[in-house]
Amino acid sequence: MSTLEFEEKSIEEAIEAACRQLKLPREKLEIEIISKGSSGIFGIVGARRAKIRVTTKVPPAGLAAEKSKEVLDEILKHIDLPMVVEAEAREGYSYLNIISNGSGLLIGKRGKTLNALQFLVSKIVSRQTGESVSLLVDTENYRAKREESLSALAHQLGEKVKKTHRSLTTGPMSAQDRRVVHLALKDDHDLRTKSKGEGSLRRVIIYPVRKPKEAAKAEEKAE
Amino acid sequence: MLKELVEFMARALVDNPEKVRVSEIEGEQTSVIELRVAKEDLGKVIGKQGRTARAMRTLLSAASTKIRKRAVLEIIE
Repeated sequence: MSTLEFEEKSIEEAIEAACRQLKLPREKLEIEIISKGSSGIFGIVGARRAKIRVTTKVPPAGLAAEKSKEVLDEILKHIDLPMVVEAEAREGYSYLNIISNGSGLLIGKRGKTLNALQFLVSKIVSRQTGESVSLLVDTENYRAKREESLSALAHQLGEKVKKTHRSLTTGPMSAQDRRVVHLALKDDHDLRTKSKGEGSLRRVIIYPVRKPKEAAKAEEKAE
Repeated sequence: MLKELVEFMARALVDNPEKVRVSEIEGEQTSVIELRVAKEDLGKVIGKQGRTARAMRTLLSAASTKIRKRAVLEIIE
């Protein structure tokens, strides 16, 4: 979170100036009054300006999105493709969409290139603003499509686990991908999911909730 | 062009951008891009478990694929 100081004739004006500059409503600012200011005698002798210190409660989202777009533009300039970047400040993160000719070059195998771009841009912007920014770099709706196929995969694996009563493991996945798998099976009470492994080799294991024997017993009892 | 890409990324990541030196050794098919940074910035361009270096290499290969070349990024101590 950043802290800034503002000086104006009155406290009201100083707060207004702060809101204007940070492009944030007053509720999103923590305001500390350093000096109330006074108009002095007849507004001439001993006039002091009001001074406030403002701390933003949230990182200015629009600012982070703008900055990220600049950095992304600069990197893409060196990759010889016609493309345009759209930046959008969303709740809690910035969404950056690259509009290109759809060659898939920017996506790479399993989103490798897209993830590399996202990692570097977020690292650079976090350095520049001194706050950790979260952002999503996307192109050709890749993120949504990937999420869809991952959750389809999760459901397929889940069905298999239920049928065989044996746990199954996915391939190595990134944290984002694992999250999708966990979420896809979250509401299925016959299955349990867990991540295992280190670093880039982490995978998701899908377990059946009831052991085959217990399941058989339960069925017997039911009969 | 590949050289400028590496230069921009490295400068944006380090504390001493003025000490970033990038040179390109052009081969017939493969280019070697050599990156030198201040000693204290070495960790910044490599990253945790080499993650930053890996991301830069990924982008470098995407950029070089487009111009039908191959490029290797060497970080020099």
